[in-house]
Amino acid sequence: MRFMMMVKSAENAGAPPKELMEAINQLTVEQSQEGRLVAAGGLAPTAMSSRVRLSDGKLAVIDGPFVETKEVVGGYAVMEFSSKEAAVKSALEFMELHRKHWPGWEGETEIRQMFGPEEYEFEAGNLQKRCAPNT
Amino acid sequence: MMIKHTENLKKLPKELSDAIARLSQSENPPAVLASGALAETAASSRVRISDGKLSVTDGPFTETKEVVGGFAILEFKSKEEAVQSAREYMELYRKYWPEWQGETEVRQIYGPEEITFETGRMELKADLKHHKK
Repeated sequence: MRFMMMVKSAENAGAPPKELMEAINQLTVEQSQEGRLVAAGGLAPTAMSSRVRLSDGKLAVIDGPFVETKEVVGGYAVMEFSSKEAAVKSALEFMELHRKHWPGWEGETEIRQMFGPEEYEFEAGNLQKRCAPNT
Repeated sequence: MMIKHTENLKKLPKELSDAIARLSQSENPPAVLASGALAETAASSRVRISDGKLSVTDGPFTETKEVVGGFAILEFKSKEEAVQSAREYMELYRKYWPEWQGETEVRQIYGPEEITFETGRMELKADLKHHKK
């Protein structure tokens, strides 16, 4: 099972301490060796980003910063696990590193299972999941 | 690229899905590093740190009107190209799923080669920082 992990926090939290990034790098190396890590990275600040929005049949390009939500996605990882429980456990370990190396930081990792084309089929002309997760 | 929309959606029409599939057969398609749809938030979880405490919260997450429903990691020469590609993608939604509302958020991804620890904390390298407004 493939999962998307999105790390969200306030944008004015400042830069992460070196100790945290070293601990994350160590974890990343282990996860790569286990074949769990598919892709990961940090995202540009919203001040350097854009949105292409469709609303009422009209397209609009909006440049950042985006300030309507308190927390934004600042980084992500695409990972393989045998269950959602294993994915949540891994996110707990990752967040424990934040708790240890960056006291005062506040934020969260959102764990969402991912689906590719092979998990879908068309029924009555509309896209449907082949089997819904956890239902 | 993160695609955001409300969760109480009808299913993607086949015409749109076919048009999206045709994107990869266009003249100069961007390299796709990963892409996919995400499970509904009702089937998802969050691990949160607040006031030094860790907690796990199961979905659904209802505090925002729109949530990330899908994403694609693509390679472009510039942010302008990325925005143009997102525009073309959203145009397919406009054409084949007119009542759909939502957006594609375009964010550059940084790897180890774009960051520095000169000050003891992680920062973007100086030549990248001046792009910031």
